[in-house]
Amino acid sequence: MAGAMDLPAKGGFSFDLCRRNAMLAEKGLKMPGFRKTGTTIVGLVFQDGVVLGADTRATEGPIVADKNCEKIHFMAPNIYCCGAGTAADTEAVTDMVSSQLQLHRYATGRESRVVTALTLLKSHLFSYQGHVSAALVLGGVDVTGPHLHTVYPHGSTDTLPFATMGSGSLAAMSVFESKYKEGLTREEGIQLVSDAICAGIFNDLGSGSNVDVCVITKGKTEYLRNHQLPNPRTYVSSKGYSFTKGQTEVLSTKITQLKPKVEVTESDAMEE
Amino acid sequence: MGDSQYSFSLTTFSPSGKLVQIEHALTAVGSGQTSLGIKAANGVVIATEKKLPSILVDETSVQKIQTLTPNIGVVYSGMGPDFRVLVRKSRKQAQQYYRLYKETIPVTQLVRETAAVMQEFTQSGGVRPFGVSLLIAGYDDNGPQLYQVDPSGSYFSWKASAMGKNVSNAKTFLEKRYTEDMELDDAIHTAILTLKEGYEGQISANNIEIGIIRSDREFKVLSPSEIKDFLEEVE
Repeated sequence: MAGAMDLPAKGGFSFDLCRRNAMLAEKGLKMPGFRKTGTTIVGLVFQDGVVLGADTRATEGPIVADKNCEKIHFMAPNIYCCGAGTAADTEAVTDMVSSQLQLHRYATGRESRVVTALTLLKSHLFSYQGHVSAALVLGGVDVTGPHLHTVYPHGSTDTLPFATMGSGSLAAMSVFESKYKEGLTREEGIQLVSDAICAGIFNDLGSGSNVDVCVITKGKTEYLRNHQLPNPRTYVSSKGYSFTKGQTEVLSTKITQLKPKVEVTESDAMEE
Repeated sequence: MGDSQYSFSLTTFSPSGKLVQIEHALTAVGSGQTSLGIKAANGVVIATEKKLPSILVDETSVQKIQTLTPNIGVVYSGMGPDFRVLVRKSRKQAQQYYRLYKETIPVTQLVRETAAVMQEFTQSGGVRPFGVSLLIAGYDDNGPQLYQVDPSGSYFSWKASAMGKNVSNAKTFLEKRYTEDMELDDAIHTAILTLKEGYEGQISANNIEIGIIRSDREFKVLSPSEIKDFLEEVE
């Protein structure tokens, strides 16, 4: 604890570690890559609230790091947020704002509003000048009605009836643009969101695996994890694999005796 | 804190080895409105008098029992504004614990951290101790728990406790009435009777506050109509 009183935070980004990183890079150390989510995330407003959708593939360059990750994050009981960009950034920023919203709920005694979450997110992202690589689709229902927003890494936001973000956003947007209309029912909304995510899954390399859906209405939220599994593992060998001696060709053999290097002596046990 | 003119602690030892400021803080607590807590076999109840300085005060705006986390609640005796500050700090600490460990804070940990804050204010420059004693009630994996935290920062786990004006009578009453296997509803009745003992005037659903937590682990402050039902059962 830094003393009795909380001093106001000095604010701004601390660039101390950037000097260290530059120095290390000069010495030839390769920076570890970060896990980007590739991703297709979408949201739309229907007659009773909002539906959010996301794929479940997390990529590390050309490799799939997580085949079933969760991209729809909890912000408040009535607000959820899909995240695209760097996985660590989206996780950290949504956790942080979720925590701040909880404290705010205790202080005010009221349900959180979507614009509150929006403002907390955009202020944080703006103050980090785009270095926090989180592109979010934020949706929820509060006393003022259903809301859907997109938040960009530099801190700008849009308010839309339907939105898509991530590398699969164009594929998903094409589905929305052709089929979205106002006043969709719950089933139509879920179907449209699933179709849009599937478009991303099948047409974008950065997105794949399963479809997660979240339906938020006044007073009720349903998180439909793995609502659709369009990419099941079809072949798993039930016999298993065996690696018996002789299957692998031995090219050369070198034996190093360890015994002469280790000296074993009889001695008393360690004293207390 | 070093750049302030008052970087020395205002709470200093007396020749007899006592911290006089803390004694005075306890006096402030002792002149506050009575509050009490009872730990039952399947839950915890905390209650307090809610005597307002005038009939013109809007009693719906006053809430003495506060929620710290969904499964931990707190009540106080002493200075209201000091209580507000502690509630704010405790809530933040609970959130920080969750952010760090992704586990909802256990009751003992929150009590420990709140007590640490209270102790800090007895050993820092330019500040005075908090003029409140807290009764923290919670239900976690270790079952129902009730803790009392004093201005010095010391804390104890209680089966039943009282603080404030009527502390000695209330504690005697509780000692007689308390049983190990009490159910929560019995505990609520006992709490109401204990408050009634020392109450100057007529007790009603609008001038006491009751907070309970059952095995569902949801702390809630009872509404006046719920208190009225319990009052009627007691009469």
